[in-house]
Amino acid sequence: MDILLSDSDVRSLWLTARLAGTVTIILLLVGTPIAWWLARTRARWKGAIGAVVALPLVLPPSVLGFYLLLAMGPSGPVGKVTQVLGLGLLPFTFWGLVVASAFYSLPFMVQPLQTAFEAIGERPLEVAATLRASPLDAFFTVAVPLALPGFLTASILTFTHTVGEFGVVLMIGGNLPGVTRVASVQIYDHVQALEYAEAHRLAAVMLIFSFLVLLALYAWRPNLKKAS
Amino acid sequence: MENIQACFRLNLPSFRLDVDLDVPARGVTAFFGPSGSGKTTLLRCTAGLERAPEGRLTVAGEVWQDAHHWIPTHKRPLGYVFQEASLFPHITVLGNLRYGRRRISDAARVSVDQAIELLGIGHLLERRPERLSGGERQRVAIARALAVNPRLLLMDEPLAALDLKRKQEILPYLERLHAELEIPVFYVSHSPDEVGRLADHLVVMEAGRVLASGPLAETLARLDLPIRLGEDAGAILDATVGTVDKPWHLMRLDFSGGSLWARDSGLPIGHRVRVRVLARDVSLADQLGHSSIQNVLDGRVDAISEDEHPGLALVRLQVGEAMFLARLTKRAASSLGLKVGKKLWVQVKSVALLQ
Amino acid sequence: MRVFRLLFLVCWPWFATFANAEKVTIAAAADLKFAMDEIVSAFKSTNPGADVGVVYGSSGNFYTQLKQGAPYDLFFSADIAYPRDLVNSGLAASEVKPYAFGRIVLWSASLDASRMTLESLTDPKITRIAIANPKHAPYGQRAEEALRSAGLWEKIEPKLVYGENIAQTAQFVQTGNAQVGIIALSLAVSPELASKGGYWLVPENLHQPLEQGYVITKRAENNALARRFADYIAGKDARAIMIKYGFVLPGEIAGS
Repeated sequence: MDILLSDSDVRSLWLTARLAGTVTIILLLVGTPIAWWLARTRARWKGAIGAVVALPLVLPPSVLGFYLLLAMGPSGPVGKVTQVLGLGLLPFTFWGLVVASAFYSLPFMVQPLQTAFEAIGERPLEVAATLRASPLDAFFTVAVPLALPGFLTASILTFTHTVGEFGVVLMIGGNLPGVTRVASVQIYDHVQALEYAEAHRLAAVMLIFSFLVLLALYAWRPNLKKAS
Repeated sequence: MENIQACFRLNLPSFRLDVDLDVPARGVTAFFGPSGSGKTTLLRCTAGLERAPEGRLTVAGEVWQDAHHWIPTHKRPLGYVFQEASLFPHITVLGNLRYGRRRISDAARVSVDQAIELLGIGHLLERRPERLSGGERQRVAIARALAVNPRLLLMDEPLAALDLKRKQEILPYLERLHAELEIPVFYVSHSPDEVGRLADHLVVMEAGRVLASGPLAETLARLDLPIRLGEDAGAILDATVGTVDKPWHLMRLDFSGGSLWARDSGLPIGHRVRVRVLARDVSLADQLGHSSIQNVLDGRVDAISEDEHPGLALVRLQVGEAMFLARLTKRAASSLGLKVGKKLWVQVKSVALLQ
Repeated sequence: MRVFRLLFLVCWPWFATFANAEKVTIAAAADLKFAMDEIVSAFKSTNPGADVGVVYGSSGNFYTQLKQGAPYDLFFSADIAYPRDLVNSGLAASEVKPYAFGRIVLWSASLDASRMTLESLTDPKITRIAIANPKHAPYGQRAEEALRSAGLWEKIEPKLVYGENIAQTAQFVQTGNAQVGIIALSLAVSPELASKGGYWLVPENLHQPLEQGYVITKRAENNALARRFADYIAGKDARAIMIKYGFVLPGEIAGS
């Protein structure tokens, strides 16, 4: 790798992996209850919440990046809170990117999970209740194992989508090596600086990675259907 | 005597449930009625899977629901068998059996081993549910419900999803359960055959209401119920094998009021059996002559009512303490001069052994 | 048939826009944003009916796009090296003409930058400083040169955040996410930014001159409007506007 890629390229790849991994873990924790609620509620505002979750699918990254930059800035609501908490300001930081990417990738976590939870239906949970399992107990011992393929799909999609993120990072990242300069931005910089050879090498790494992940996902899903 | 008192009022957009029941907390109580009559909803309310806004439920002196209390399903000491086995697909048969077992603390009347033995599923324990037949799955589901040591077992048409052969495979296990365990059972069914074989107590439901509730034989013999089971109208008798006539391959079944001859099924003398005598197999005569019918009993007309066809009448007869139903044409009834209190010979053409 | 006629009528304006011959699209460096807008409206007032569109962005980006055949007729680069390269590659239809020298300033939306110097940037209270990405943005390169000449680069580098181009750099400062930035003078004097904070002109001896140049692209070889606009830029009216926005013009003395 080192022969092909410069240190800063490797650093950007490592940062990308760290960002995507962190976002995936955080969204597993945040997205699962949202997906669970969306899959089971009969509340009237379910539609509204579902639409908000899906917004990043259609919103241009520039819109999200613009609002996040304002919100997380020193006079924005989020910025005021983070300053009061002593966390400083989020733009141009790794955790700022994590927050932005979490918003941006939220539907990629929530929607597959919601579909998986909906496919389980009420019955297994009712059965668990008649077998003395509390709702939380039933969630972890029945719903989660039954939705495991959904969890895997959601995690892979979230990870890869975060890896592929560019617009939002560009708008709030500040391009700091090792902190916010992820691989997609690094490639953009190479292109801007007319370093086409470097851009090609890093782009090829991204291309191969994305293809292999998706190949694994698509090769694995038909098997899953056969098994069930 | 400890009873189960259930009173539920539930208004759904498409359906209303309004019941007030008091049934014994022992034996099998069958809930019988057409689909949409509220049997399953009543069972779900009892389990706490459905919450009736107005409701009161007391099981053997313990309040599960009233105006101030609501015990959630997972804290109710019940077992539930759904129409489809609904086994957890991600764990083995044994895992399914242990799932509920692990979550109870009190000493159990039924151990997992006992449940396995009772339902004959010892050879299936390591298998995944997807590799079981429909009948095997339902047996595992029943064993799983028993293994949580229920104080009330709720069964929602556990055989409805199975074909006749599988039903025959499971019914003996249900009868064993009935005979060997002391657990009260609510059994929802729309099959007269299952009800006749298993029930001690019968609750007849229609359109969300209870039409009748009482001991099985008594309730089945009631003539005022709009549901008369059609072709299956008939009486149920509990009897014992009195003697066996080996040369003719017959056995005599004694009941409180007389005895009936039936084909010898190889049962030992003294064995308790349940038989059904269909109304269409009973004829009446005011004097005895030679006849192919061997079973002739001394009876008295207890009630007469309209049958489903305008040309037919349904007659209830008292034979000793037992009740029989007879279906005959109104012309025949008229020529016999039938009226309540009249003494007659009750001729029984065929007896069906239920167990 | 009526359906087709209707369809044709509806689609006509769509196709009609392609038929308009008098049209020019300009790719301009982001520092020209305010000056060029004013020049274009002045040009339109003397050339009624002329269709002039401007796209602002990073000079390096435009250069890459033009190499791949992007449909720009004129290219105003913040660094004269890019248009010169286009001429060498045979992608230009004119000589490169210098139009201005760019100046960099310290600017802040929340502090009074007019009382600052580059030394002020070492103040620990200042935690975020925005400059354009020196890797490819000409203004970023000059900012880095100035900081290095002042011997401050090592101290200040950890505080830097990098804008994609000079306009985004200004936007980082304007939203307060960076307290100070090194941006183009032409942006600092624009109505939008001049109302806030203040600026301090970085001495031009601290960095290489930022010579800016433009060129007519190969594509616009026979576009009369493009040539008229190129001539207009060299004229008196356009020069006056450029000076107003802090550009130093070729043949004039800097530091008014």
